[in-house]
Formats: sequence, C-alpha cells, structure tokens
Amino acid sequence: MTSANNGNQQDSADIGGARPADLSLPGALDGLRVLEVCDEKGQFCGKLMADNGADLIKIEPPGGEACRNFGPFMDDVPHRERSLSFWHYNTSKRGITLNLETPQGQDVFKRLAATADIVLESRKPGYLESLGLGYATLSADNPGLIMCSLTPYGQTGPWRDYVSSDITQMAGGGQMASSGYDEIDVPNPPPIAPGGGNSWHIGAHYAYIGIMAALYYRFLSGEGQYIDASIHEACALTTEGAIAIYLSTGDVVQRHTGRHAAPDMSPAIQFPTGDGGWLNTTRSGTNLTPARLKLLAEWFDQSGMADDLADERYQDPAVIAEENDHIVQVMKNFFMNSTLEDAFHGGQQRDFPWGAIRSMDEIVGDAHLTDREFFKEVEHPELGRTFTYPGPAALFNGSPWRISRRAPLIGEHNSEILQGELGLTNSQMLLYAEGGVI
Amino acid sequence: MPLPTPLQGVRVVDFTWVRAGPWAARWLGTLGAEVVKVEWPLNLDTLRQNRFTVPPGVEPGPNSTGQFADTNANKRGISVNTRTEEGLELVKQLISVSDVVIENFSSRIMQRWGLGYEQLKKIRPDIIYVSMAGFGHTGRHHWYGTMGPAAQALSGLTHLSGLPSAPPAGWGWSYLDDTGGMYGAISALTALRHRSATGKGQHVDLSQMITGITLTGPAFLDKTVNGRKARREGFPPGNRTVWPGAEVVNNYRGPIAAPHNAYRTAPEGYNDWAVIACLSDDEWQKLVELMGSPKWADSRFDTIDGRLEHQEEMDGHIEKWTATMGKYELTEKCQAAGIRAMAVQSSQDRVDNDPQLRHRDMYVPMDHPMLGPWKFQNAPFKLSKSPARIANPPPMIGQHNREVLEDLLGVTHEELLDGYENGVFWPTTMDRYPYIEEALR
Repeated sequence: MTSANNGNQQDSADIGGARPADLSLPGALDGLRVLEVCDEKGQFCGKLMADNGADLIKIEPPGGEACRNFGPFMDDVPHRERSLSFWHYNTSKRGITLNLETPQGQDVFKRLAATADIVLESRKPGYLESLGLGYATLSADNPGLIMCSLTPYGQTGPWRDYVSSDITQMAGGGQMASSGYDEIDVPNPPPIAPGGGNSWHIGAHYAYIGIMAALYYRFLSGEGQYIDASIHEACALTTEGAIAIYLSTGDVVQRHTGRHAAPDMSPAIQFPTGDGGWLNTTRSGTNLTPARLKLLAEWFDQSGMADDLADERYQDPAVIAEENDHIVQVMKNFFMNSTLEDAFHGGQQRDFPWGAIRSMDEIVGDAHLTDREFFKEVEHPELGRTFTYPGPAALFNGSPWRISRRAPLIGEHNSEILQGELGLTNSQMLLYAEGGVI
Repeated sequence: MPLPTPLQGVRVVDFTWVRAGPWAARWLGTLGAEVVKVEWPLNLDTLRQNRFTVPPGVEPGPNSTGQFADTNANKRGISVNTRTEEGLELVKQLISVSDVVIENFSSRIMQRWGLGYEQLKKIRPDIIYVSMAGFGHTGRHHWYGTMGPAAQALSGLTHLSGLPSAPPAGWGWSYLDDTGGMYGAISALTALRHRSATGKGQHVDLSQMITGITLTGPAFLDKTVNGRKARREGFPPGNRTVWPGAEVVNNYRGPIAAPHNAYRTAPEGYNDWAVIACLSDDEWQKLVELMGSPKWADSRFDTIDGRLEHQEEMDGHIEKWTATMGKYELTEKCQAAGIRAMAVQSSQDRVDNDPQLRHRDMYVPMDHPMLGPWKFQNAPFKLSKSPARIANPPPMIGQHNREVLEDLLGVTHEELLDGYENGVFWPTTMDRYPYIEEALR
C-alpha cells in the first residue's frame, strides 16, 4: 500500500475553515459536573462530554468496570490498566471506585449527586432505583439535575429486561438486515454485523443529544429532568432509507456487497486495485456525463489505459448508457494497474467522490488529518510513555476540544474527590477500603 | 396543555440537502427548534427525487417521497434564489434573527455566497455556524467530495466490516449520513450550551469522514500503541469475534466470545436469522441446557479456548438447532434462559413485528399532504419534562414563503408577489404548485 500522504496540494488554499480554539479557553461544557455509572454501553457518551470540558467523575465498582477486561491490551499484556478499549472510551475523566450496594457507598453517591449537573448511567433498568438512587431521590434537593439512563431497550416495555451485546443490538436494530453480500461474492451469504462496537456509539450519540437538549431546557427554565434512552430505538433509527422504503412501498431491502441495501439489484461500486486494495466509487461507472467521461479518458490515457474512451462518439449520453459495461471494464482495468491511493486521489482531483477503503495502516499519519491536528499525543505519566489518540470529528473555533488526561486508573481519584471534596477522614478511607466500599 | 419543548425559541437556518445535513436539522426541529429549510426548486434536494420511496398511487413529484418526508419532518421551508441580490439579502436578514446556521455543501460554497463564518458573524455576532463538509473546511483535502459510502471507506469503518478473504462488506447504507447527521446535531447543541454559558457563538467545522474515524478508537490505538497490522489474516472476522483458525486477538467488538454469530432460523427465508452471543462459560452452559444438553456439546466446549478451537463444528451444531424454530421463538427462549440473543430484524419486522418498538411509540402517525396518513420515526429517548415531538410534516417546497418572508422578515405582500414574478422566490421557468398559488391569494 502506498503512503496516504501523497495528495495533490495544488488546490489547498485556505478558505477560512475553523482553527481549533486556544486551549486556554474553557471547553463548551466547562463548569458542568457529570457522574458516570457506565459500562461499555454508556462510556462513549461520557467521553463526548469530558473531552468538551465537563468535569466527569466515573464511578466504578471496587476493582473497576468489567469492560477494563476488553482487549486489545498495551503491548498485548492483558491487565485491567492496559485495555486500549477502556483507554479510548474514558479519556478526560476522573475516576473513583464505589460499591453502590453498601449504605456508605450510597451515601457518598448521594453527596456527589448533590454537586452534579448530570448523572449518566447504563445499569439494568430499575437497578439504581432499587438502591434508593433513582432520579426522584437524587433530584429532591437538586431540582436542576439531569439524569440519563441509557439501556439496551429502555426502562419500559416487554423487552426492557432482555440481555444484549453489541451484535444482538445490531440484529434487532436492523444494521444486519441491511449489511452483507451479493451471492456472486459470497454464496449463501449471512447478514453481517459491522464491527467496532457501533451499537454503543449509536446509543451514546442519541443519549448525548437528549442530555444537551435537557441542558438547554434547564438554561431556559431552571428545571432538570429524567431521560430514558434506548439503544434499540437508536439503532432502529439508523438504517437510512430502509424504513422509509418499507413504509412507502412495502419493499424490504436486500443486502449488496459494499453498497446500499435496496429493493432491487444495483451495479457493483467496489473495485480492486493493483496493490490489493479496494476502491469505493460511491456510484458505479454509470451516471457519467460526457464531460466527466472525457476527464476519465484523459486521465487513463496518460498511462495508455483509456482503450477507446477518448473516441468522440462517447460524447453522447446515449452512447455512454449503451456502453456502460464496457466503460466499467476499462475503469476496472485501470484500477487494477493503479495503486489504491493513486486511484483515489486521481479521482477526487477530477471531482469523482470516491473513497479508498483504508485501514488504520493508512489512516494513522494521514496528511489531511495532520493538517486538522487530529492526532493527539496523550501522556501516560505512570508509564513514562505518550501515545497517539484520535482527535475530534469537528473543530470548534470558540471552545477547545481536548483530551485533558488519559483514562483514570482504578480508583485514581478516590482520595482527591472523597477526601479533598467530600471531606472523608483518613480513618473512613481505611474502613471503606477494607470494607469493600471503595 | 402540551409539554414544552427543550429548544423552544431557537431558530435554525437550514441550507442542508441530501441526508446527513437534513437529518441533523431534523433532530433540532424535533427537539422544538424552529427550523427554516432554504431551497431552490432548480437545485432540488436529491431526497425529493428518491425513486424508491414514492408510494404506489401517489403522483410523483418533489413533495411525494417518503424518504424526504421522514428526513425533513418538523421543519418549515422557503424557496429563495440566493443567486439574486434580493434573495441573498433576505437570507442574510433571516440569519440576523437566527441562532444556528447549518449546511453540508462542499467546502467553498458558503464562501462563494459571501456567507463564510467571518461574514456570518458580522450579520449576527453570536451565530453558531455548523459546516458539515466531507473532509471539513480545514486541511489540504477540504475540497474532496464524499457521500456516505466513500466517507465510510476512508474512515476505516468499511474495513472493519465483512468476512475475511471476501471483499469488504462495509455498511449497507450511508451510516455516515445517519451518524454524520447526529454529529451535526451534536455540534449545534454543544455550541448552544457554550453560548448559554458565555454568550458567544462559534464555527463548528465538522468532517463527515473524520466522524467515522472517531468511531474506531480501539482499532486506532491497537495501531498507534501496539503497531498491530490492520490488514491481517482473519480480519474482519465476520459476525464472530475471532475467525476460526486465525490468531486469537481482540477484533474490537467487545470481549472475545464464542458462540458469537448469526444463525439460520425457520423457515429459512431471506431475513430468517438470529444472533446468539455467549460472553462467558456460564452463558454457554445455559445455552447447552436450553438446547437439551445434546451429546455433541461435550467438555471440549466448556471453555472459551475450546469453543474457539472448535468454532466451526459448534456453530454448525447450533444452527441445526436454531433452524428448528422461528427467530422470535428462539429469541424468547434464549432470553428466558438469560442468553443474549435477538432476531435479525428487517425494516418490516421493526415496523410491524417488534413489540418493544410498538410499546415505545417508535413510529408516530401524522397526516402528510401528499402521502396521506404516514408514520414518522420518533426520538429514541424520552425526556420527562420537555419531550421531543413529531409536530409537523416536512415542508412542501416553498410552502412557508409567505409566513416566513412576510411575518418574520417583514416583506410586504406586494414585494412577495413581485419576487414570484422576477425569479427570486420561484423560477420563472417553472409552474407554481396549487398550494403556492393558494398561499399568495
């Protein structure tokens, strides 16, 4: 694979895009305190708030959340402080350990909730309430409190107690029914659950939107509220046109390799390149106007690969439509004699909105991302090492996004928060530690 | 009295089109913001032309597609030609009384209109400007174009999805139009909180493609921390966590587990599949019991390493069992036994067969002027005091010209009529729809 850094710079003139805000400024959520009681389902929502400047306190059970056991691990040495998954999803947070099933733990939680603007939790429906830590209790003396429960199926309904994982949510939510293969690529193909833990992302995005909306309402009214967010509903909303197609015509979409599931067959849009990569052309060779076909022909001709496409007769939309299969074949030949990155950049420079199917091997170090200061160096002081993390999706020019610290170690801020803020004594800390409270 | 909405009093100027941008503004509208979609009939939003979603018996046209309808609910719409001096001036007036400007054009368009952030700020000092270009407005490739599939490819998301030794399966829809839209809404709401706290607006320069990269964190760190090759044997692992025979490494979908797969169910139609995931030896034993403790499920499968070693054999046996019943029956049986399982649900299943979505009012009925009784997708969260709401069908093109231009911007009725004659509010080359004529009376 060639380097991803060889893009043409001829047309990169500054157009007044946003520059990241100065780090001396407060983040967009500066001044907000968030308590997070979340496993893999809600921790990403917490990260979105923490990287925008919220003071987020993650409350883990003594010994840490179970998702600290998710690999991969730093240097492939499994350890609860070395989970790269946990590292990524818990940046900019402080962390304490607290056993919420003990009276002392519940007392500490209530005292912290009294200082909080937002409580975000992803425990089983009714669990916190059963401990006397439901919204009614927590908001009694803190009416501005916003509490969001993000759970697999929501707090009510016949499936509310169903157990789940990322792949079961993608099954129920419809991601799998839309993703997979044409028979020609994989015989008897199964529906495919896209990777990467995205049902949790989808749920977290909507939970974040609900929380931000509640914050604005609190700004207007002074009132907090409770938010019941469902990953299942969030996923069910996230298959683009599949629902609208069904509601409109009764058609159920069929899965196609690397492109939109649709009620009918559509031409392939992914093509292999000479270096073993795949190019996604968004739409296939169809939709070519004479002008665009001419651009392609001139480009391919530079390496003697234009076949007959430079011929004048192709300057006629009817001929283009008629010769579509042949045109696609010429394109395929060209791609097979090109590298992925050359095909991608060459297409984009001629206004074809194509995408190289990149892996992390190509993404890390990419020049455009570097221009946007996307790669963030994050210090792990206890290791004496610094690692490169992904940055933000958007540049905010008025309020900085930042990873203010690496993920908390287990109970790292127990003393700082429980003693420093709540005033627990040394002897209480000792008793709480020995008694399994912290 | 209906409950208040959370974003009451927020006005959004919506220049977006296709899917990601309109979906962002749709949620701001659903949360109670007043969203004004600015359109021009000669550059029709492609979703207004979506061939798959015109219901049978409905006359095709820009106001008749189901996909546009759901993506643009809870907005008002005006038709203004921003290429005329008068039209551009009115758009600027609209911005001066608005809180948020949102668009998903390619990176140079707003600058070309004289509506870059520096100019917007002069019109409205505390404006929140959310731009949603594929590569963003900053960086050497800002001018590259993307739609969902290309953005997914470039972000690494496509590479994470599929069977090993097959072409990438990717995502069977524009995931980054859905999720890119989410980030448009996230950006606007985050900036609104910042403005509530400081009084200041800002430019949020979102990149659809980079949005996808932020969803690959563990894979990203596996590269930067461990130097793991992303292009490796057995990756991506299909629906499994580790492909049979491949090196046992975590492939980024939670903990390594087996079984973890999609299985055929009766009657083996196109979407007769269900998934089962056992995340511990304990959960596996529950499944063995549920299957009736068959002879094949011997001690070789008791531990995760054994189940990974014999994964093909195990999955084959499990599928013989799952194929004896329907996907919902399987789901209920497994769930009753505490096993993580779920039917693979098609669009039809979600709308018609999913009792949970029905209980939670996921599909809200509302009349649409062209489509008749219609269903709109509800918010996946319930705010106890100021809920999201499905209040209005999407605008027919130019439907709200009179109320927005006259009532809000103070255009006189005569000026409005003139604008229709001289190509500012409607193309002189196009017939006007009856609802437009009616509104002008």
